Amino acid sequence: MNVMATIDTTHPAKPAAAGESLLSHICARGIAVDYVVSGRRQRVLQDIDLSIPKGSFVSLIGPSGCGKSTLLKVLAGLVPPSEGEVTVAGLAPGEAAKQRMIGLVFQDATLLPWKSALENAAFLLQTADKSIARKQSLERAGAMLRLVGLDGAEGKRPSQLSGGMRQRVAIARALALDPEVLLMDEPFGALDAITRGEMSRSLLDIWERTGKTVVLVTHSIDEAVFLSREVHVMGVNPGRIIETLPITLAHPRTEASFAEAAFTAAEARLRKLLIEGHARRPS
Amino acid sequence: MSTQPVAEDIAANSAGASAHRALSELVPALLLSAAVLVLWELAIRLFEVPSFVLPAPSAIVASLMENRVQLLAATRSTAVEILFGFALASIVGVAVALVIVRSERFGKALYPLVVLFQTVPKVALAPIFILWFGYGLTPKVTLIVVIAFFPVAIDMLAGLQSVEPSFVALMQSVGAGRGEILLRVRIPHSLPHLMAGLKVAITFSVIGAIVGEFAGANAGLGYVIQFASTQLDTALVFAALVVVSVLGLAFYYAVEFSERALVPWAPKFDAMHRT
Repeated sequence: MNVMATIDTTHPAKPAAAGESLLSHICARGIAVDYVVSGRRQRVLQDIDLSIPKGSFVSLIGPSGCGKSTLLKVLAGLVPPSEGEVTVAGLAPGEAAKQRMIGLVFQDATLLPWKSALENAAFLLQTADKSIARKQSLERAGAMLRLVGLDGAEGKRPSQLSGGMRQRVAIARALALDPEVLLMDEPFGALDAITRGEMSRSLLDIWERTGKTVVLVTHSIDEAVFLSREVHVMGVNPGRIIETLPITLAHPRTEASFAEAAFTAAEARLRKLLIEGHARRPS
Repeated sequence: MSTQPVAEDIAANSAGASAHRALSELVPALLLSAAVLVLWELAIRLFEVPSFVLPAPSAIVASLMENRVQLLAATRSTAVEILFGFALASIVGVAVALVIVRSERFGKALYPLVVLFQTVPKVALAPIFILWFGYGLTPKVTLIVVIAFFPVAIDMLAGLQSVEPSFVALMQSVGAGRGEILLRVRIPHSLPHLMAGLKVAITFSVIGAIVGEFAGANAGLGYVIQFASTQLDTALVFAALVVVSVLGLAFYYAVEFSERALVPWAPKFDAMHRT
């Protein structure tokens, strides 16, 4: 994808939904990332251009080592790019994160074992905003727990929750910040297939209700197609975007979406690209 | 979402049963101990072993009763040494761990020295402490600190450093500094590890106190053991050993119970019942 204008009226994945902002919410231009591994510079990401509209749901998919997690960390401000420019909501990512515009969810829920689900969900908000009253932060966290479907689990410790429930708490913790964008790094990667499916439908529901801009890193083709408006397929050596595939599945998406021709076509296309991306290793 | 069986249900079921189970678990151990004691008693009487070589259990019990005033006084001095030594060792161990984590440069200097010091046979330091600090409480407490701070420092350090890096990144991304992460995340996270270190430290403290008293003392259970052995009063040696064991057990369980009260979220390591 080479469209770099901030206002992007020719965005290929943009459905002609009325009243939606056409501003690109996350914008990356010419991103490259070098890691120094035992004294040698290694390029893990090259020529990354991204323009993600506000309220969109975008997936990054690719083989292991394609740098999709690194790209997410660049967007989150956790890894500074060696070249290029990134903005999130018009700000540098680090600054955007400090202003609570970025919610992060990792593969591990990373909950604090001595705190209840409610306190865990409130913890990051309390860290980010020292002026917020404890009661208020807990109320907000409670509302987010209900949003992710954890009513009644507020008082439970992480050890009393299943893997899927823990990940829901992590999502609630990110949402409690009321961020503009939600960056998720294989959030369901450690879950079993059935729980994954449930979590996907929940995430779709949360996205539809909150209107956050979501960037999801995933290994799962199904997940990417079912959830996204646009899928960026990444290749290896160095990590780069080899194709951007708009997903034309109708909204709202349901169980029936899996049977649509658009789903099957997108799935087949992604599978082909992933195999090619893995095989094509320019060195 | 579907309801899934969670750890709580299992815990709730076993909570009531666990006390009963713990008691029934003890039965084989008690039976074996009783058998050993009976055999011991019989062997001593049958082969007419002289009491100064190996006293019969009945003789040890008799000595316990006979010398109870002396043993109680000795227990008191040893317990005081253990308490002071253990408390100070805990403080030193925690401080060392915090310094190593807080200051990278100082930590790099300190850590190898701490490990190197651990390889010194510290029992051999006991006479030096007597030389420096005399026969009172100080040399024993010093020896205990030197022996027992290490497991505290190492376990606490492991706990402080075992916070998931992604969680640290999460905290940093919303503007938390090192100090705040240490205080609100690393230290609470390290508490179960610290308690594991304290359990090792308390048993080391008992050893330290007895060794310290061997090296030179005029009170305490170690002193009683040494004095009685010079008098060939082996029954009293064994009586004092029984008291030392009971004292050590009491201290150990005191730490274990405080662990359950202070860090109820700590994973319970129950070697016999892991499935």
